[in-house]
Amino acid sequence: MRLPLPSRHLLPAAFAAGILLAGCATMPPPDDKDALEEFRATNDPAEPFNRAMYDVHQAIDTAVLRPVAVAYRAVVPPPVRTGVSNVLGNLRSPVILMNDALQGETERFGITLGRFMINSTIGVGGIFDVASRFGLVPHTEDFGQTFAVAGVEEGPYLFIPILGPSNPRDLLGFAAGIAADPFTWLTFGNRDLLDALNYARAGATVVSTRESLLDTLDDVQRTSLDPYATLRSAYRQQRAREIANTGSGATAVAPQGLGTGLGNSAPDAGQP
Amino acid sequence: MPCRRLANRQNETCDPMIERRILLAAGATLLLGRALPAAAQPVDTARAASFIQATGRELVTAINSGSSVTQRRDQVANILRRAVDVEGVGRFILGRYWRLATPEEQAQYMRLFEETLIRNLSARFGEYQGVRFSLGRSQQRTEDDALVNTIVERPNLAPFSLDWRVSEVGGQPRVVDVIAEGTSLRLTTRSEYSAVISRNGGRVSALLDAMRNQVAQLAAREGR
Repeated sequence: MRLPLPSRHLLPAAFAAGILLAGCATMPPPDDKDALEEFRATNDPAEPFNRAMYDVHQAIDTAVLRPVAVAYRAVVPPPVRTGVSNVLGNLRSPVILMNDALQGETERFGITLGRFMINSTIGVGGIFDVASRFGLVPHTEDFGQTFAVAGVEEGPYLFIPILGPSNPRDLLGFAAGIAADPFTWLTFGNRDLLDALNYARAGATVVSTRESLLDTLDDVQRTSLDPYATLRSAYRQQRAREIANTGSGATAVAPQGLGTGLGNSAPDAGQP
Repeated sequence: MPCRRLANRQNETCDPMIERRILLAAGATLLLGRALPAAAQPVDTARAASFIQATGRELVTAINSGSSVTQRRDQVANILRRAVDVEGVGRFILGRYWRLATPEEQAQYMRLFEETLIRNLSARFGEYQGVRFSLGRSQQRTEDDALVNTIVERPNLAPFSLDWRVSEVGGQPRVVDVIAEGTSLRLTTRSEYSAVISRNGGRVSALLDAMRNQVAQLAAREGR
């Protein structure tokens, strides 16, 4: 059952070729300690290649992804978008559950399991995030994070068109996530249906994610002197926080009211 | 001279003895501060939290006031100028290039940095109409700064978490970093600025040109 070597190594080979063609970032001279330290900390030896990929991504984004996300926001009302995002999040539960287990996070495992069972049933197939109202706050987990917890180094920074910022570890984790996802393989006895559902899910994920990033990315493009460098830094920080599992944000412990009396009803936490 | 100023402000008669004692105390504090860096006052978390609470309340009031966009932006800018340790943040962000810059470049950088920071932040906060803001957990982080967690809620949008890093600067709590959903403003900006400099042959002047350009663009967009 062994695959012929060339196709197995096609992806890394393509990357290697790309990096060679685009050239590597120039190392600073060895006597400049600060510059060397910065080069190491930036961890982007394939920067020229990555910047080329970033430009490709920006072209696709400007032509397709962003306009589609803008239209999606304009046409689809917020509760429906939240529902879509909730369903997609619920579909990710099995993979999150596996990674909670692999990391030995028993409490988070219980939360994910509880969320999946409640939201898939009472939450009508995940449309409504009922579990959050029961205090089961969502979190993400993926194989990239599990590899990190196991001590796998991230490797050099990579920018992949459409997928965005990544690195070999997270890219491998991304592939493992798709392979390990039962919904990738659940055929309902119909191969064509499976393909159609997978495409629909991938498409919906891209659109929903891009919509949720509209304001943030517009802001980066508007205010950053080097959006590529800003995204690179932001990605590394976000991943570090996700791996450390510190504070998932919005629903912190017992917030003390400090508003200006603009009503007490908090909007439904609509995170994916 | 300082005596008269003090007397004027507090509307009291000026006692030279008291003034001398204040000066001595101030001098002693400075000396102690220099001599014993380990004894640097760690920020009291409660103090940091109440500082953020007060600043946050001021910001929310300014943002939700019925006044015009320009007025709101100016109010927000003033609050931020008082609350943020602009100089410390600016130096941190320029990092190793601060030492490589000429004194003139340093001065220009500081001016441009303050302008950019205040404009960007006030433009962003200025958009948050109907914002609500609440204090989350507050935790001590390192020796001399505290991390204050807040939750920002806007109508029809998912709430997000905003952490404020607060440090004691000149005896006053000051904001030294803002962390939105885990992304630190000063770390991100540091890598942005250093990318601009290193892609332009390590010239700080290239960054200054880019910043000047950006300030002009922001000003044009804001129409002021």
